[in-house]
Amino acid sequence: MLNYAWLILVFPVLGLLLNLAFGRRLSDRTIGWIASSAVFLSFLVAVGLFFTLLGMPVEGRQHELMLWQWIHVDLFRADVKILVDPLSVTMGLIVTGVGFLIHVYSIGYMEGDKRVQRFFVFMNFFIFMMLTLVFANNFVLLYVGWEGVGLSSYLLIGFWFEKPIAAEAGKKAFLVNRVGDFGMALAIMWIFKLSGRLSFLDIAANTQAIAPAATGIALLLLLAVTGKSAQIPLYIWLPDAMEGPTPVSALIHAATMVTAGVYLVARTFAIFLLSPVAMTWVATIGVVTAFFAATMALAQVDLKRILAYSTISQIGYMVLGVGVGAFSAGIFHLMTHAFFKALLFLAAGSVMHALHGELDIRKMGGLREKMPQTFWTFLIGAAALAGFPLFSGFFSKDEILWHAWQHAHWMWALGLLTAFMTAYYSFRAVIVPFLGKPRDKYLFSHAHEAPPVMTIPLWLLAMGALLGGFLGLPHASLFGKWLEPVFASAHVGEGAASGNLELIFMGISSLVVLAGIGLAYYAYMVDTEFPNRFRKSLGFIDGLVQHKWYVDELYMAVIVHPLWELAGWFAKFFDPKVIDGTVNGLAWVTDEVGGGVRKLQTGLVGWYVFSLFVGAVLLLGYFMLVW
Amino acid sequence: MVMRVVFVVVSLFTLVMAFMVVSHPTLFSSALYLVATFLGVAGLYVLLEADFLAVVQVMIYVGAVSILIIFAIMLSRGMMGKRTSSHNRQAKWVALASLLLAILLLYFITVLMRWPAVQAGPVPAGAIQMLGQDLVGRYVVPFEVASVLLLVALVGAIVLAREREI
Amino acid sequence: MTITMPSVSLMPYLPEIILLVTALLVLLVDTVWGDKRWLVWLAFLGTLVSGVAVWWLAQGPTLQLQDMLTADAYALFIDMVVLIVAAISLLLAYDWLIEHNEQQGEYVALLLFATVGMMTMGAAINVVTIFVALEILSLSLYILTGFARERLTSGEAALKYFLLGAFASAFFLYGAALLYGSSGHLDLIGIGQNLGTGGLMAGAGVALLLVGFSFKVALAPFHMWTPDVYQGAPTSVSAFMSVGAKAAGFAAFLRFFQVALAGSYAQWGPALAALAVLTMTWGNLAALRQESLKRLLAYSSIAHAGYALVGLAAGNSLGSSGLLFYLLAYAFMNLGAFGVAIMLEKPGSGDVMMSSLRGTSRQHPLLAATMAVFMFSLAGVPPLAGFFGKLYVFGAAVEANMAWLAIVGVINSALSAYYYLRVTVLMYMRDEEAGEEEVAVSKPPVLVFALVVALFFVVIVGLWPSVWMQMAQQAALIFG
Repeated sequence: MLNYAWLILVFPVLGLLLNLAFGRRLSDRTIGWIASSAVFLSFLVAVGLFFTLLGMPVEGRQHELMLWQWIHVDLFRADVKILVDPLSVTMGLIVTGVGFLIHVYSIGYMEGDKRVQRFFVFMNFFIFMMLTLVFANNFVLLYVGWEGVGLSSYLLIGFWFEKPIAAEAGKKAFLVNRVGDFGMALAIMWIFKLSGRLSFLDIAANTQAIAPAATGIALLLLLAVTGKSAQIPLYIWLPDAMEGPTPVSALIHAATMVTAGVYLVARTFAIFLLSPVAMTWVATIGVVTAFFAATMALAQVDLKRILAYSTISQIGYMVLGVGVGAFSAGIFHLMTHAFFKALLFLAAGSVMHALHGELDIRKMGGLREKMPQTFWTFLIGAAALAGFPLFSGFFSKDEILWHAWQHAHWMWALGLLTAFMTAYYSFRAVIVPFLGKPRDKYLFSHAHEAPPVMTIPLWLLAMGALLGGFLGLPHASLFGKWLEPVFASAHVGEGAASGNLELIFMGISSLVVLAGIGLAYYAYMVDTEFPNRFRKSLGFIDGLVQHKWYVDELYMAVIVHPLWELAGWFAKFFDPKVIDGTVNGLAWVTDEVGGGVRKLQTGLVGWYVFSLFVGAVLLLGYFMLVW
Repeated sequence: MVMRVVFVVVSLFTLVMAFMVVSHPTLFSSALYLVATFLGVAGLYVLLEADFLAVVQVMIYVGAVSILIIFAIMLSRGMMGKRTSSHNRQAKWVALASLLLAILLLYFITVLMRWPAVQAGPVPAGAIQMLGQDLVGRYVVPFEVASVLLLVALVGAIVLAREREI
Repeated sequence: MTITMPSVSLMPYLPEIILLVTALLVLLVDTVWGDKRWLVWLAFLGTLVSGVAVWWLAQGPTLQLQDMLTADAYALFIDMVVLIVAAISLLLAYDWLIEHNEQQGEYVALLLFATVGMMTMGAAINVVTIFVALEILSLSLYILTGFARERLTSGEAALKYFLLGAFASAFFLYGAALLYGSSGHLDLIGIGQNLGTGGLMAGAGVALLLVGFSFKVALAPFHMWTPDVYQGAPTSVSAFMSVGAKAAGFAAFLRFFQVALAGSYAQWGPALAALAVLTMTWGNLAALRQESLKRLLAYSSIAHAGYALVGLAAGNSLGSSGLLFYLLAYAFMNLGAFGVAIMLEKPGSGDVMMSSLRGTSRQHPLLAATMAVFMFSLAGVPPLAGFFGKLYVFGAAVEANMAWLAIVGVINSALSAYYYLRVTVLMYMRDEEAGEEEVAVSKPPVLVFALVVALFFVVIVGLWPSVWMQMAQQAALIFG
C-alpha cells in the first residue's frame, strides 16, 4: 500500500484534467461529481494508508517514497519525494475527507453559476497542491505546495470577479502571502547553507548544524506561518477572503489551507525546539491573535466575517498549542476545527443560499422554523466552536489550554478569556439569525431549506464535530498515541499531566463557556438592549473594536501608500514618458517621410546620457579608490 | 621646444574645431568643422611619428566619412539647411556631468597615474609591415570577424535607404 | 619579406559560420525567390543545423582559435541558449513579416547576424573579439529596432538606441585601452595574470568596461534606453533582444570578470552587488505603475538583469552556473510573454495597453492561461522555470555570505508579484468595458507553435531543472 501512496496525488490531477478537457461538453452536475469522486478516491487512498500504518510497528511508521529525481545540484538535492507518516496521513485524511464533503456540497451550492467548470478545476487543483504540501518530504517541494495553495486561494477568492471587491480581496490575499513566503524562502536557503540538507527527516536528525541560527530560522518560518495561517501581523487578508464562494471559505479559509502554518510548525518542530525564544514567540503570537481576533468577531454583523475572525482566533489557539510544545494537541485542534468550522461555513452558506446572498445577521431571525436542518447542524457546530462540554472543540481546546498553563499562566488566562468571548459570539451567531422573530419579512418569507446534496454533507460534518473529540480524551488519547512517533523526540510538557489538576481545569473552562453562552442568551433573548448599553459603557474601546483596531488603515498608511507613491515618483521622475506620453525637449532630427515633416522625439536622450554619465562617474570613482 | 609649441598649437586647433562642431547652429557648418577636427587629429599622429596612421586618418575620416556626412546633409535638408539650436533642456546637466567626468579622467591620467616610463626611441623600421603582419597573423580572427560587421552595416544601410513600397 | 599566415582551423567557429552562410543564403534567395515565407524557414533550418554543430563540438575536445575564440563548454552553452532564442524569435516574427510584406530578407538576415554576434560574445576570450562581437550584435539590433517603419516610434527608438549605444561602446573601448595599457595584454587570461590590483589605470579600465557591459544588459543606471526601445521596436525584435542580447551580454560579462578579474573579487564584488540592488529595485518600482504592457515587460527585464547579476556578484561557482541557468529560464518565459503580446497587439499599434487586457480570459481562455503561466514564472512561483533561476542565484549569494543581497532579492521578487499579478487580474478578473468591441485576435499557427514551445520549456525546466543545471555547471567549470 505504501508504495502506492502517490495515487493520492494523482486522482485530483485526473479529475482536473478530465474536467478541463471535456468540461464544456458535460453538464454542471457531472463536472461536480467527477471532481468529487476524484477527491473521494484520494480519501480512500488516505484511509488505506492510515490502516497500513496502524498495522505496522509504532517505530516503523515512516515511509519515504521517491517519485522522481527533481533537483540535483552539487549538494542541493530536493526530490519529488513523499513522506508517509502519521502526521501527513492525518492531514491527508482531513484534507480529502472534509474536502470531499465540501465538493459534494458545492454541487448544490454552485448550481446555476456560469463558471462551474472553472470552479471545480480550481478546487481539484487546490486539493492537489494541499496534498503536495502535506506529503512533501523536503522544504522545496513543500514550498511548491505552499505557493500552489496560495495561488488557488487567490483564484477562488476572486472567483466572482464581477464584484470588484472580490478581485481586490484575491489580490490582497496573494500579496500579503508573498510577505510570508519571503520568510519561507529565506529560511530554506539559510537551512541549506548551514546544514546542506533539505529533507525534514535529515534536518531533524542533524539539528546541531543549524543550532547556531535556530532562532533566526524559526522566526523566518514563523513569518511564513503568520502569512498563511492569518496570524498577527499578517492576518488582514483572511476577513476579505470571505468574498469568495462559501465552499471555498469552508475548505480553504477554514479547514485546510490556513492551518498549513500549524502543520509547518509541527513538521519542523525539531528546528523550533532548538530555540526556546522562537517557541515563546510562536506561543505569544498565537494567544494574542486568538484574543484580538475574538474581540473583532464580537463586533461583526456579517455572518461569514464572524466566522472568519473566529477562524483566525481558533488558529491562534493551534499556534499557541504548537508554540508551547504540545504539537499533537495543536494538530488535534486542527482536526476538530476542520470539522466544526467547515460545518459552520457550509451551514452559513446554506443560510446565504436561502436568503439570496444576504449575510447581515441583523436582517435575519427566526430561521429555525424555515430551515431546521441547517439550524441543528449550525447549533452543533457552534457548540463545538464554543467548546461546550463533550463537543469536539471542548477536548481539543482544553488540551491546549492545559499545556499553556504549564508553560505560562498568563497565556492560559488570556486563552480562557478568549474562550469566554468565543462562547459568547458563537451563540450570538446562533441566536440572532435562527431564534427570535423574523426581522425582515421579505427575506424570511422566501427562505427555504437547502437540497439534500447540501444537507447530507452538513450532517456528516456535524457527526465529526460532535464525536471527533472523543479521539483525544485525556488519559486515553488515541490521537496523541497515534501521532506520538512523529513527535517522539519532543518531550516538552507532554505526559506530565497530573490527572486531578487537569480535571479541575476542565471544570473551570466548562463554567467559563457556559457563562459565555448564558450571557449571549441574556443579551439577545432576554434583555435585547443590553448589548447597546454595554457598548456605550466601553467608550472609545468600542470604536476601536468596531473598526477592527484600525489595523487595515495602519497598513495602508504605513506601507501601501508610501510604496505606491514611491513607485509613482520613480515612474514620473525617471521615466517622464509615462506621464503624458509626449516628450519635451527639442527635436534633433527631422524625418521627411510622406511629405510632411514629422519630428522624432529624442529630447529625452540628453537625460539618458546624463544618467549614463553619472553612473560612469560613480563607478570610476569607486574603482579608482579600491583598486 | 619647437615640437612642444607645434603640439600645443595643433591640439588647441583640434579642440576649438571640435567645440565648433557641437555648438554651431548650422548642421552643414558643423560637418565642415568636423573635417578640420579630423585634420587636427591627423596632425597629432604626425607629431607622434605615426605617419601611416596619419595618412589613414586623412584618407578615411577626411576623405570618406566627412564627405559621406556632407552628402547626407545635402540630400536630406539642403546645403545650408535650417538653423537648429544644439541645446535642449537637459543640456546644462549633461554638460555638467560630462565636465565632471572629463575632469576626473584628466586628473587621474595626468596627475595620479604613474605611467610606465618607456624611453621614446626611434620608430623601428618596417613598423607598417609589422602592423600588417599582425592584422593577418595574431589578430586575423577579429580582423575577419569584423568583415561580418561591415556586412551588417551594408545590409543596414540598404534597409534604411530603401524607399517604402506602398 | 615573407608574410607567414598562421594556420588556423575554423572548426571552433563552425556554428557561427553555419549561421553566417545561412544569412548570406537568405539574402541571395530573397532576390530570386518570390515566396518570402521560405526565408524564415530557411533561417530556422540554419539555426537547427548550427545547433547540431554545437552538439557535435560538445562531443569532442575543447577547440580554440588562437587566443581569440574558444568553443569550450561555456561558449557552447551560450550558443545553445542563443540559438534557441533565435529560433523562437524567428517563429514569433513570421506572421508579422508576412503581413508587413517588406524586406523580410533583410530582417531575417540581420537577426541571424545578431545571433552570430551573440554567439561570438559567448565564445570570445579576447577583449578585441568581445568588442567586435558586441558591435555586430549592436549594429544589427539598432537596425532591427527601426524595422517597423510605419510607426514613428520605431525609428525614434532605433535612433535613441544607436546614440546611447555609441556612447556605451566608446566607454567599453576606452576601458579596453586602459586595461591594455596597464597589463600589456588583450586576451582575458593574459590580463588576469598581469593586471594585479595596483594602479589606477587598471581600476579605471575595469570601471569603464563595466559601464559598457552594464549598458548592454541594462543595469541601472545604464538602463534608461530599455523601456523606449522595447516599446518602440517591433515586438518580435523586443522579444529577441530582451533575452538574446541579455544572454550574450552576461556571457561576456561573466567570463570577463571570472577569468580576467578572478583575483580581485574583493574589489568588484561589492560594486556588482550594489548595482544588482539598484537595478532590481529600480526596475520593480518603475514597473509597478506602467500602463503599456511592453514597457512593463521592459522594466521587468531590467529587474531580471538585477536578479541575474546577483549570481555574478556572488562570485562563486553556484553563482556562475546559477546565472547561466537563469539566462536559459528567463529566455523561455520572456519570449513567451512577448509572444503573447504580439498576439494581442492591434495591427499597426505595435503595443498593448494594460487596459485592453481586460476580459482576455473569457474570449481567449487558452491564451490567457498561457500568459498567466509566463507571468507566474517571471514572478518566481514554483515549480516553474523562473523559480529555480532565482533559487540558484539567491542561494549563491547566501553561500557567498551575502545573505543581505538574497534578502533584498527576495523582497524585490515579492514586490514584483504585484505587477505580474496585475496582468493576470486584468485578464481573468475584469470584463472588458461595456460597448468595447471584442478584441479580434488572430491565432496564426506558427505563432501558436512558438508559444507552445516556450510554454513547454517553462514547465519542463521547472519540473526537471537538474538536467539544465548540470549543463550550466559543466559550462561554469571552466572557471575552475
